[in-house]
Amino acid sequence: MMLRGIYAVVVLDMKRFWLDRARLIAGLAQPLLYLFVLGAGIGSSMGGSMGGGSYKPFIFPGVLGLSQLFTATFAAITIVFDRQIGFFKAVLVSPVPRPAIALGKIAAGALQAYLQGLVVLPFAWLAGVPLGLGPTLALLGAMALASVTFSAMGVAVAARFTSTTVFPIVSNAVLLPMFFLSGALYPLMTAPRWMQLAAHLDPVAYAVDLMRGALLGRFFFNPWLSLGALTAIIALLTWLAVRIFNRGEDDSSLGATNFNWRR
Amino acid sequence: MPAAAPTSDLANVADAATTPSAVEVRGLVKRYGEVEALRGIDLTVNTGERFALLGPNGAGKTTLFSILATLRTPTAGSARVLGRDVVTERDAVRRELGIVFQEPAIEQRLSGRDNLLLMGLLYGLPTAAARRRADEILTQLGLAESAGRPAKNLSGGQRRKLELARALVTDPKILFLDEATLGLDVDARRGFWSHVRGLAATGRTVFFTTHYMEEAEVADRIALIDAGRIVALDTPRALKARLGGGVIRLKTDDDAQARTWLTGRGFATDADAAELMLVHADPAAVLPELLRHLPVKVLRAEVHEPSLDDVFLKLTGRGFGSEHASAPPGGGRGGPNGRGRP
Ligand SMILES: Nc1ncnc2c1ncn2[C@@H]1O[C@H](COP(=O)(O)OP(=O)(O)O)[C@@H](O)[C@H]1O
Ligand SMILES: [Mg+2]
Repeated sequence: MMLRGIYAVVVLDMKRFWLDRARLIAGLAQPLLYLFVLGAGIGSSMGGSMGGGSYKPFIFPGVLGLSQLFTATFAAITIVFDRQIGFFKAVLVSPVPRPAIALGKIAAGALQAYLQGLVVLPFAWLAGVPLGLGPTLALLGAMALASVTFSAMGVAVAARFTSTTVFPIVSNAVLLPMFFLSGALYPLMTAPRWMQLAAHLDPVAYAVDLMRGALLGRFFFNPWLSLGALTAIIALLTWLAVRIFNRGEDDSSLGATNFNWRR
Repeated sequence: MPAAAPTSDLANVADAATTPSAVEVRGLVKRYGEVEALRGIDLTVNTGERFALLGPNGAGKTTLFSILATLRTPTAGSARVLGRDVVTERDAVRRELGIVFQEPAIEQRLSGRDNLLLMGLLYGLPTAAARRRADEILTQLGLAESAGRPAKNLSGGQRRKLELARALVTDPKILFLDEATLGLDVDARRGFWSHVRGLAATGRTVFFTTHYMEEAEVADRIALIDAGRIVALDTPRALKARLGGGVIRLKTDDDAQARTWLTGRGFATDADAAELMLVHADPAAVLPELLRHLPVKVLRAEVHEPSLDDVFLKLTGRGFGSEHASAPPGGGRGGPNGRGRP
């Protein structure tokens, strides 16, 4: 029942995602803006100060991470919408175990983020990143790990919200700092000490660093540390998400408050 | 056992003694903070019965159904569905029941067929079986033609039928319908109920809420609910018989004076009712008398058989059509026929 439940939730979300497949294209706008506008502007002003490579290839993995991060978060928002109206109530009275709903949501969000990443990937060529077979395979693996991390983050937070107006505001307030502190747009190596420390607490930093390392062979964190950190984060957030879904028996949408820390 | 239930042959009676009731609710209380939505509900629905919960908005119908469907936990008391406790045996209850919610619970952007397919998957059917079952139920409900369209493009009646189809995908033994026909026109409502009648005929328990009187009439038994309490529970005929005789409704140029006069003559009128209503064993005979002697000008007079609305009005001092909505609550409750619990 557990696996079937996860499968059913994933099918539901992917069917809905497919209706919105135009978003895969629209979702290119933001990363490409960063890559080619910010990339060109800042890149030319920095000259050769990137320690070898040029700027656009450097930020490419960061931009890839950005697109995955926002796609995963958007997928998580459906949890909040679902609570207010629609099919989700039917899911809640079905015998699907609550943990399966949480796991299905995380899987579906990760899948969507991964697909978005795959759509951004070919632009590596325009950014001047060489896509060798080995690095590309390593990158695809790192992208998978990043997708699951971002999706687990989104679901663990979204499950606490019942207001569709509050969640996007809060998530933006959290996501952008996480993205900017992650070293996606500048080398952490030469960043101030406090930013390096902050990056150690930022899941996005590990994900981006792993992807960059896979592609360009330049790591800030030891790759094993990144792998370990991401795995631990995924485990923790998944556990949190499962716990929330497990607990909310009084959780049909009626009259609930906007946000409940204690859930 | 309801005397009027057509299906209560000997075999069923014997069965009822050994198999658990479809729904058994004892001392059920539900509080939302300050609001006490259910104030001690006791209720038994027999297997195979069509049971109606009739009451005005805010009476607690949806709250009761949410508890029975395991979406909310009771504050106090207990509830069992097909013998399973809705709190401790949640998963078992979920496997057994089908429910049509008051609000839509289909994914509007997906097709009817996809909605049903997903439902089947959620209940653990393999994809091929879920697809087959979806088609089966769509054909049965006459939705096969339109099932490829996004649900939001269906008519109101078709959409409610799709909700019913969703609830039926897993062939539940008990079906809950919470104001399932709300907002539908008369034709669509008739179509919907003819399907439900078919389901009930196959021995399924159907427990439904409504605030359309005529829908409740088809039930084997009716519970009248008001402000979180069951005020009466009986067969439709027995409920109406409680009023005895018929009902006279009067509209005068001075209802207050008329009321005083009537009360003085020993006629039972309803103190809180928005209009002048009196119950009498032989209304047709007494009406001419009244018209002659009333000290006020009678603008309109009506005599009719008691309806469920009259019963409700008698028991609670309030009707529940919108024209009564502004009548003051409370008072008049538990009149002569008040203590309705069996
Ligand atoms: N989630 C909730 N929070 C607070 N009050 C609620 C909630 N749900 C229902 N109520 C209140 O409980 C009472 C019963 O509501 P409900 O069960 O929806 O009645 P009905 O379905 O008969 O119209 C109403 O007074 C309603 O305002
Ligand atoms: Mg209701």
